[in-house]
Amino acid sequence: MKRIGVFVCHCGHNIGATVNVTEILKELSRYPGVVHCKDYKYMCSEPGQKLIKDSIAGEELEGVVVACCTPSLHEETFRRIADSAGINRYLLEIANIREQCSWVHTDPEKATSKAATLIKTIVEKTKLNDSLEPMRIPVKTKALVIGGGVAGLQASLDIANSGYEVVLVEQNPSIGGHMAQLSETFPTLDCSQCILTPRMVEVGQHDNIDLRTYSEVEEISGYAGNFKVKIRGKPRSVDLEKCTGCGDCWNLCPVMNKPEIRVMQSVSDSMDPDMRSNLDAVIDRNGCAREDIIGILQGVTDEYNWLPRDAICYVAERLEIPVSYVYRIASFFTQFSLEPRGKHIIKVCLGTACFVRGAPRILSQIQSDLGIAPGETTEDGLFTLETVNCLGACALGPLMVVDEDYHGRLKFTRVMSALDSYK
Amino acid sequence: MAKLANIGDFEKLMETVKAGRESSARSVTVCCGTGCVASGAHDVIAKFQEELKTRKIDAEISSKATGCHGFCERGPLVVVFPDRIFYQRVSAEDVPEIVDETLVKDKVIERLLYSDPVSDEKITHEPDVQFYKRQQRIIFGSNGMIDPTDMDDYIGLDGYAALAKVLSDHSSDDVLDVIERSGLRGRGGAGFPTSRKWRITGAQEATPKYVICNADEGDPGAFQDRSLCEGNPHSILEGMAIGAYAIGASEAYIYVRAEYPLACKHLEIAINQAEDRGLLGDNILGTNFSLKIHIKKGAGAFVCGEESALIASIEGKPGEPIPRPPYPAEKGLWGRPTNINNVKTWASVPYIINRGADWFAGIGTEKSKGTMIFSLVGKVNNTGLVEVPMGMTLKELVEEIGGGIPGGKKLKAVQTGGPSGGCIPSELMTIPIDYEELAKVGSMMGSGGCVVMDEDTCMVDVARYFLSFTVAESCGKCTPCREGNGRLLDILVRICGGDGKEGDIELLKELAGAITDGSLCALGKTAPNPVLTTIEYFRDEYEAHIKDKCCPAKVCKSLITYSIVADNCTGCLACLKACPAGAVSGEKKQVHVIDQAKCTKCGACYEVCKFEAVSVE
Ligand SMILES: Cc1cc2nc3c(=O)[nH]c(=O)nc-3n(C[C@H](O)[C@H](O)[C@H](O)COP(=O)(O)O)c2cc1C
Ligand code: SF4
Repeated sequence: MKRIGVFVCHCGHNIGATVNVTEILKELSRYPGVVHCKDYKYMCSEPGQKLIKDSIAGEELEGVVVACCTPSLHEETFRRIADSAGINRYLLEIANIREQCSWVHTDPEKATSKAATLIKTIVEKTKLNDSLEPMRIPVKTKALVIGGGVAGLQASLDIANSGYEVVLVEQNPSIGGHMAQLSETFPTLDCSQCILTPRMVEVGQHDNIDLRTYSEVEEISGYAGNFKVKIRGKPRSVDLEKCTGCGDCWNLCPVMNKPEIRVMQSVSDSMDPDMRSNLDAVIDRNGCAREDIIGILQGVTDEYNWLPRDAICYVAERLEIPVSYVYRIASFFTQFSLEPRGKHIIKVCLGTACFVRGAPRILSQIQSDLGIAPGETTEDGLFTLETVNCLGACALGPLMVVDEDYHGRLKFTRVMSALDSYK
Repeated sequence: MAKLANIGDFEKLMETVKAGRESSARSVTVCCGTGCVASGAHDVIAKFQEELKTRKIDAEISSKATGCHGFCERGPLVVVFPDRIFYQRVSAEDVPEIVDETLVKDKVIERLLYSDPVSDEKITHEPDVQFYKRQQRIIFGSNGMIDPTDMDDYIGLDGYAALAKVLSDHSSDDVLDVIERSGLRGRGGAGFPTSRKWRITGAQEATPKYVICNADEGDPGAFQDRSLCEGNPHSILEGMAIGAYAIGASEAYIYVRAEYPLACKHLEIAINQAEDRGLLGDNILGTNFSLKIHIKKGAGAFVCGEESALIASIEGKPGEPIPRPPYPAEKGLWGRPTNINNVKTWASVPYIINRGADWFAGIGTEKSKGTMIFSLVGKVNNTGLVEVPMGMTLKELVEEIGGGIPGGKKLKAVQTGGPSGGCIPSELMTIPIDYEELAKVGSMMGSGGCVVMDEDTCMVDVARYFLSFTVAESCGKCTPCREGNGRLLDILVRICGGDGKEGDIELLKELAGAITDGSLCALGKTAPNPVLTTIEYFRDEYEAHIKDKCCPAKVCKSLITYSIVADNCTGCLACLKACPAGAVSGEKKQVHVIDQAKCTKCGACYEVCKFEAVSVE
């Protein structure tokens, strides 16, 4: 086992007045792996640092834990001692017993026991630490911004103005995004054009910004600091080097190709009209307020067996709430599925009563026969397998419910024949 | 249906209904609770109606589908009134015979009677069945006699009399006093005195106030709330109306699990009927008191049973608990004073008003009054719902009402309180059912789940099971519960998998303490209970897993092997055919062999072998 040394700092009264350091030393010196235990009034002072340095050499320590203030203050200080004492700096760790213990607690007894636990935890971590060597890896100081809406423009300008190169990729022929379609902005009622256009011009002219309109990011590889990105420029049959943007070609061209203006899409425009009227019916039945959301999603589930994306977006639109909020609800409750489910839903009860009567075996039988795990659907879309916590029909356990039929007092030998009737 | 304009009208109606229901009339009831329906009760009742009609006796002999009678194990159940002849496991084919013999000729059909598992005696009358004999069915009593979709059935048994009484001469303080003197405590888990909660909510200045019925019943292995909602929905509505009157609320919600479709349906029907009659809605029975009750369906999250999460979910938010105080009584639904009670708590109220506080307080122990409904499930002969007076011992519950353990096995433990409760070992079966006594041994009353476990149950595996439940159901809001319980589960999975280490037990205990201290809501705080109680009472099983790498109950797959006992094997091929993994090989009439490399330890061979030729070690 690694030979670990523990150094506990009083930080004057900051730690010492609340945490009983003597007690800590007594406890830690008995802790497996700890071979050396010392305290000092101010560990970060010259004599304190020397104490650590000498001990590392004298006791042949292979790991050091300093119990003191937050690592953001003195981690570097103490790691330098490790450097100078000749052990790897990453074998030294800090246990924060000031900000995370003595400053926030008043009961000395409890604070002492918490400090001891914190230190022991770090001792365990230190036992697992390896020596690390820092490496230098060159980093490309260049940024990629995807999307030339107002946020992308501002981000590009901020980075470019700090002296870095920026590649800005926009899928449409022009930057500007949705803001150009708004009239005033909240809360100052400034005209949105007045905010947007100066930035568009500045981006277009900035030396540090490489603007790629009508282009899309195809592939990103690499790692933080060194990404490789493949950008595909869509064909536009114009030599951009020579183009002055005079617009004459537009007037002369016999084919009328309207420049693409992306209207903020409402799902209701593109949605299947049947789905729309189904959803309207569900929403009208349940009410149109935020509090009705769970009932609405239950209605949608009754209709489709799952929650299609379009349905979620449409519900958000009609309730005038963010799509993300609908997703939050949809992903919280187990009744809702974000993936299509099979024609028949098999629910195996894993309630306590069914559990002690052998439900796990029923489940594994179905799993191995249908080749799907709970939550999955068979390839032919026939069955979805689910588990439920309790169906409240404990006398029938072990129990499975297929759609609305209860199959009780199941023997695992009969499970599959029961399912055959649904095929 | 005409609205009742005042209390006098109601009293007249009750008289008429009662007069129309002669107690000596012959009738037949079929239990149509979920358990019996799953065993085919709908076919049985349909057949009765058809047979009575073809014989043209449907005017004299009525047949009706009732709520759950509780004895789900023997369903479908049929009771013939007025003698209460009790037939069990009845199928549609038996119906013509019952009509001809019992209903027409007054003869008992031996074959369909229940035979006592201990004495082997055939029992003719329902009240003589051991399962019912030891019970004291108050809240649950009418379930087997009324058609839950027929309001007159409820009124015929004094239904809504308590509400009429309260509205005619009780002030809200009078009601609070009666409930206080009765000693009623919450049946949803913690056992908080009901009157105190009502008083706090009632005393708040903010308005409007709300009343909520918690029918989320998430505990696995508990289904009494479901049966009440399905079988006697009006009693819950009446209780809520009385509570709302005492508190000063005019709007109420019932939060029901979505997995309980029949309960939702019956509650909906009941609310509509009561509104049509003027027993709910505006100006109830011509008084100033109004109450609108809404139903909200849960969407499958156990934590929504917790009151603050439940309220969040009614408000259309994710069901995450919030720190308390402020308690719902001060700031609940829409930030207003809100009183939440469990289904059984609400259903007790009309009985207390009708029969008086002293009567209720006379049942039970010093601090736990009245009766408690348990779902008695697991390894017990008579599975079902039982209502017993507080103070009965667990032994009486399991042995006398439950009829003991099937297959002559030994009782190992009883688990009460669901995933927040604990496992009580067989040595402690003499403790009485009482909030404090159960808490003393590390368990709790909870919402009435009572799971019986026999010697074939591995207690480490049980702890792992409950924890995997709570881990899956944790809402993830606070770290001690989300991460801490996850680590507890990791350790248990390791122990069950044969990789337990020295010190694991201590680690489990230390971690459990931190989780209990640090979690935000009771789900997290109580999640370690099953682990702690199994360590306390069954430490030897943990040690066997950790030190000897063996599972004494032969449950944990990694620690057992199945093999063929050559001396007993007749070479019948049964196990070979049953094995889903193809691990058994052998010829007809030759000793079979299990290939351990292929064996998935599913136990199929063990289950099918009739010659005790498969052993588990
Ligand atoms: C995780 C969790 C789940 C709960 N589930 C239920 C439940 O299913 N039914 C219930 O009535 N109370 C449940 N409760 C208790 C409720 O929070 C609340 O205390 C109870 O409904 C109050 O009613 P009572 O005073 O009538 O007992 C649960 C509590 C927690 C922490
Ligand atoms: S204890 Fe668990 S369930 Fe309760 S709030 Fe915290 S994470 Fe959620």
